[in-house]
Amino acid sequence: MKNIIELLAAWALIHESADEGWKAAVKRGREQTPGAMGDGPEAFVEGLAVLVDEEKERLKERLADGGDSDEIANPVELGERIDQLGFEIAELRGRLESLHASIDGLAQRLPD
Amino acid sequence: MASHNACPTELQPGRGWRIARAVIGSLLVTTWKCRFGLMRGQRRRAVSARQLRLFCERMGPTFAKLGQLASVRPDVFSPETVFELERLQDRMPPVSSDAIQKAIIQELGADPETLFADFEQEPLAAASVAQVHRARLRQDYRPVTGALLPAGTEVAIKVLRPGIEPQIAADLAIARRWARRMARFKRLARWRPVELLDEFTAMLDRELDLRNEGRIADRFVRDFADDEQVIVPRVIWRHSTRRVLVTEYVEGWPLNDLGAAERAGIDARALATHGANVFMHQVLVLGYYHADMHPANLFVTPDGRICFLDFGIVGTTTPPQREAIAQVLVGLVYGDADRALRYSRELGLEIPDEQVARVHKRVEELVRNHLLSGPQADVRGFALGFLSMLADFRITIPAGYGLLIKSLVTVEGVARAIYPDLDLMQAARPFTTRLIAEQLLQPNRLRRRLVAARNAALEELLS
Repeated sequence: MKNIIELLAAWALIHESADEGWKAAVKRGREQTPGAMGDGPEAFVEGLAVLVDEEKERLKERLADGGDSDEIANPVELGERIDQLGFEIAELRGRLESLHASIDGLAQRLPD
Repeated sequence: MASHNACPTELQPGRGWRIARAVIGSLLVTTWKCRFGLMRGQRRRAVSARQLRLFCERMGPTFAKLGQLASVRPDVFSPETVFELERLQDRMPPVSSDAIQKAIIQELGADPETLFADFEQEPLAAASVAQVHRARLRQDYRPVTGALLPAGTEVAIKVLRPGIEPQIAADLAIARRWARRMARFKRLARWRPVELLDEFTAMLDRELDLRNEGRIADRFVRDFADDEQVIVPRVIWRHSTRRVLVTEYVEGWPLNDLGAAERAGIDARALATHGANVFMHQVLVLGYYHADMHPANLFVTPDGRICFLDFGIVGTTTPPQREAIAQVLVGLVYGDADRALRYSRELGLEIPDEQVARVHKRVEELVRNHLLSGPQADVRGFALGFLSMLADFRITIPAGYGLLIKSLVTVEGVARAIYPDLDLMQAARPFTTRLIAEQLLQPNRLRRRLVAARNAALEELLS
């Protein structure tokens, strides 16, 4: 679902300045009460338009930041970042263990 | 090359003269076999390449390693040389178990019987620079990725041959003298022998520090952690140093020993296809790839998984390169020579304008003859023809581009060792198509393309 919203957001970004009808749909969607998306096809489209619009704004910010912003966009990305850090720490532990082994080897060569 | 005096070995006196005699002998044999230069083109290059391989095998570890490194440089050497050197035998008589035990004591400060629950005196394998023994863990160990390895887990201990580093350093010093002499001759200087040797020396130095291999193995383990058909032995860093690398031991058959009986117990076709996809995932998604994937470095386990070993040579790709490589692959997979060539130029292949038409025609022929006709695509035939064609037109091959083409050929060989009837181009279709679709759907890409499409449409309407 997220990918579809992102795809539509990319489309909306390109047509941002051109489509007045779209802007009106977003405006009506923002005025909806929670849960109103289920009230019929038009309400659904207007609710969806708001979701796409929010995603579009996020996409715009990401593009403006050159796509390498440190801001964490979503929980999946956050999870990936934590996973990456965990791996780097484990790698570091590996390096320390290896250095320790090398020191043991060198120490053994020292005269008593 | 870092010198090492921990395991001193007496350097053979007169080694320089022995190498000189072997070089001259080899040149004479090559001249004779090439009918004193009367033999031309591909046949002459093939005969010379075979003599070069035999020379490298005769001259010991340094030259065997240099040959191996040359085999991943189709940008420098002829395709015949590159494919011949790929066959270099890297097996050597084993060093005595006592010498290996001493080396382990020097590196780790204790004898293997103390460090491990069990240490097998008989080596599992002996190659030009290292030897492998089997043992068992004495204590539990938590590797960088994945579950705890309990005490008693079988491990493989890779140990550099005692004294190999000074021996290689001495041989390289001799080779450097020769390279300087070669550089004085105009005909030979175009190969940039001194720079090339420096490059190889740096690569060899990296390979002789086994920790580098361990770090890359860790990264592979992590990146393929979710792939149930891929296994990479994890490193036991507690017992690993510059000259000793301890990893999990994986039972299986090396691809060069995979017979019909072994294939019968696994889904060979699916595994071969998956192996090819794993390689493409490395190149096109992860941005680094195992560049020494010969059949001895790959195992098939009895439960039908592929095991990757020996990460001594690794290639890398940048994001723009990955995009262009994907397009080249799609071009080859769908027989679209125009697309393959267009994106090859983005990878640094410079074709002079006056040669474009002829090159295009030759590539179309090669695609038609090797990839589209016959019961299965012949990537090796295509690569050999393509690289020879570039050599004929004197078109410089960018280093990464050459290595990639060579690696594709290797992947075909590896996949066919698992399932001989595999058509690599057919197997690659779903992966490359999906990848291109994903690339096209990236927001910034979509934005660029849609704007371009809108402009084109407006132009069409207004004209």
